Amino acid sequence: MTESEDRFVEFLHQEARAYNQPPASVPRDAMWTAIAAERRRRAAKHAQQRIQLRWVVGIAAVLVLGVAIGRLTAPVVPAGPAVVDNTPAEAGDDMMYRTAAREYFGRAEAVLTMFRADARQGRPDGGASEVARELLSTNRLLLGSPAADDPRMKELLEDLELVLLQMAQLSAEQGTDPAQFILQALENNSVLLRLRNATPSTLAPVSIQGAL
Amino acid sequence: MQACQTFREKGNLQSLGPVDEHNLIDRVRAGDSRAERELYDVHVGRVYRLAFRMVGDDDLARDFTQETFIRAFERLDGFRGEAALSTWLHSIATSVVLNGLRKVKRFRTRETGLEEAGELPGISRQSDPDLKYKMERAIDALPEKYRLVFVMHDVEGYTHEEIAAAMGTETGTSKAQLSRARAKLRDSLAEFAGAWEA
Repeated sequence: MTESEDRFVEFLHQEARAYNQPPASVPRDAMWTAIAAERRRRAAKHAQQRIQLRWVVGIAAVLVLGVAIGRLTAPVVPAGPAVVDNTPAEAGDDMMYRTAAREYFGRAEAVLTMFRADARQGRPDGGASEVARELLSTNRLLLGSPAADDPRMKELLEDLELVLLQMAQLSAEQGTDPAQFILQALENNSVLLRLRNATPSTLAPVSIQGAL
Repeated sequence: MQACQTFREKGNLQSLGPVDEHNLIDRVRAGDSRAERELYDVHVGRVYRLAFRMVGDDDLARDFTQETFIRAFERLDGFRGEAALSTWLHSIATSVVLNGLRKVKRFRTRETGLEEAGELPGISRQSDPDLKYKMERAIDALPEKYRLVFVMHDVEGYTHEEIAAAMGTETGTSKAQLSRARAKLRDSLAEFAGAWEA
């Protein structure tokens, strides 16, 4: 560097010391308190998400497994004139979908019951939208599965989809009005009652350990 | 707590030796909350100062400092010890600051009147208030990475090795960016050339 450049660097060092001068005292205690609180909040959120994700993944796994079994065991249609196969699905495949549906309805009922309780007390729940989005994806999987061959089940799934769509768009900032609207939809369509009655009484209990 | 006080009494500006640092990290990884506070106390001053230098705002500086340490604790298991912990921490800090500045998409406006410049702390009474104002504007106007290198080196005293490690670049890149930053500042402050020209 030239002498002039050296002097300029010295000049910069002198004059730039005041640039965005930090306070003499670092607010270390206040920042530590904030750090600790935020770490606790994030840890709690991650724990909840892991539980919900395990549940969603489990149900999805059951459904995907059911689809795979259905495809593997589907009767081969011989070449020639089209033949309508009226053979009912294997009991095991049907049981897989119904089991997944039963688990899903149980979960949906719990979530909607809590949502209804909060909405009746005027407590808008911003966290409901996140759970609703997860339930929505499972709802759509079921709608696309043989579980929806039953017209009553299909109708229930479609009504649930509407409610969950509205819940998924909720935010805490919107206040209580949208939640009240959803509450009304729940009650007008007797969604909760139909959910509770949706468990197939003819289905024997099936263990799906490993899927959940 | 006693260890925390010891660190505080030392002014928290002393770097830990390699063995002490290794022990501290092991204790943090084992879940020792006092060790977490010790680690924080050793490094928070320099991180906060850097954040404040870059944003000129206490709230933002606190946010960036806090986020730096939150991420550091989350990722400490992945710290392999190839570099000093301070270097690793500052790489997180520079990333948080640069990304944070992009999100904020604003910079503090220099609303301070020229007549008040002489009353601000740290300002030499010999400094021309107009120079101070122009200097601040000139540094503010630097591209973010140049400004970061300039602030770290010429204002806060980081070495090029520390800067390069923090920014994930080479030492030569740090030197080149500093050179360009100084050249831009020289152009911006040309009216004050008499202060350094022979």
